[in-house]
Amino acid sequence: MTGTFAQRLDRIARNLLPLAISISLVVLSVLPVYLPGYGEVAANLVLMSVFYWSVHRPELIAPANAFAIGLLQDVLGGTPPGMNALLLVLVRSVVVTQGRVFRGKSFLVLWWGFSLVAMGAGLALWVLSMGYAMTSIDPMPGMFRWALTVALFPLFAGLFARVQNSVLQ
Amino acid sequence: MLRLAVPLKALVQRFAVLFLVLAAFALMLLSKAETVVVERAASTISDIAAPIMDVLSRPAASLNEAIETARNLANLRTENERLKRENARLLAWQEAARRLADQNRALHALLDFKPDPQSRYVSARVVGDSGGAFVRSMLLNAGKRDGVTKGQAVVTGDGLVGRIVSAGQWSSRVLLITDINSRVPVIVESARDRAILAGDNTNLPKLVFLPGNTVVKPGDHVITSGDGGVFPPGLPVGRVASVGDGGIRVQPFVRLDSLEFVRTVDYVGVSTAIPEDDEAPPEADKQ
Repeated sequence: MTGTFAQRLDRIARNLLPLAISISLVVLSVLPVYLPGYGEVAANLVLMSVFYWSVHRPELIAPANAFAIGLLQDVLGGTPPGMNALLLVLVRSVVVTQGRVFRGKSFLVLWWGFSLVAMGAGLALWVLSMGYAMTSIDPMPGMFRWALTVALFPLFAGLFARVQNSVLQ
Repeated sequence: MLRLAVPLKALVQRFAVLFLVLAAFALMLLSKAETVVVERAASTISDIAAPIMDVLSRPAASLNEAIETARNLANLRTENERLKRENARLLAWQEAARRLADQNRALHALLDFKPDPQSRYVSARVVGDSGGAFVRSMLLNAGKRDGVTKGQAVVTGDGLVGRIVSAGQWSSRVLLITDINSRVPVIVESARDRAILAGDNTNLPKLVFLPGNTVVKPGDHVITSGDGGVFPPGLPVGRVASVGDGGIRVQPFVRLDSLEFVRTVDYVGVSTAIPEDDEAPPEADKQ
């Protein structure tokens, strides 16, 4: 162990940042916005966060963290418990094992990768929701949500990068 | 030692992922089976988060109110005119209602009629919207401590919103009438025919199980029938928006996407032949 107690505490706090950001985004994204029709197509900020940190600092988003973030998203958002937990654990695994594809490449590669991952996650959520409800569900809101999520990704990735550069390095 | 540790760590992590995936599936199955433990755990998490969300959602609500106020100020004159006209019309209705109430009381006395059970209301603030494209629900900042329990109807002054599907100590979740899992026993007012209002995640839920010979036209009012004892009878639900190939669609009276306050109705109804859980009729999906 290196450094004084205060230094260690500081490092722990910094290392908890990706988790803390993701959890804050879970709460933020379920707050009512009072905009007609927005709720169902709202961008999936949590997915952006888990994706970003899994690419850049995978050691700070453990599988259990991804699970906990997803579970909180389920409980606060009203999706069946376990559904988003499952998706985020899988997203993290896929991104971490394919990490080399993204790291050090241009942002466009990262964005393209995110759009694929978000597409996969959205499809899985749709299929799981239909399985859970045991009936067919209109996929259109999910598609709008995917488009909005992908469109807003550069903005949030920029914010995460700022946090990463100023606090984590 | 270090050389061994790295592959070992990877192995542990792989097992962790497998374990978590299985745990997620197990949770989904348990919640589908409405296991008490899972429900209670979820309510506990909501209870912890609800006060935080309550505080955080206030700025958005205030902003919403400010915009609404500004809009009202702009329309003050026309609004005033409209209200005057409406007031005159309502006074006429009040007269009619008084007369009917008297008549009703007299007829009840003649028939030795048993009055409907009284309902008790709990007001609550909406602190959370549904998270995602495939659910329609809301989180409220009132729970068992305030008298909210699972199964209660949720209303506003305009009409029915949904029903409580889970209640924690300080928070509860409402399943909206537009959700794919929502089934509400209703009456189409003009024909007095019974039907089920089934949500399908669109803004316009469908009327199903109508008797074959019923004539329904756009504009007909739909109210709760009270069958099953979950919803009090006579709550306004919506009006028929369209009748066509896509089925009979109902436009809810309540604007479900911009709600800030709702009331839950504690109704002790008389259970009829239809099972208590209105989620049930499995045939509903085939329609």
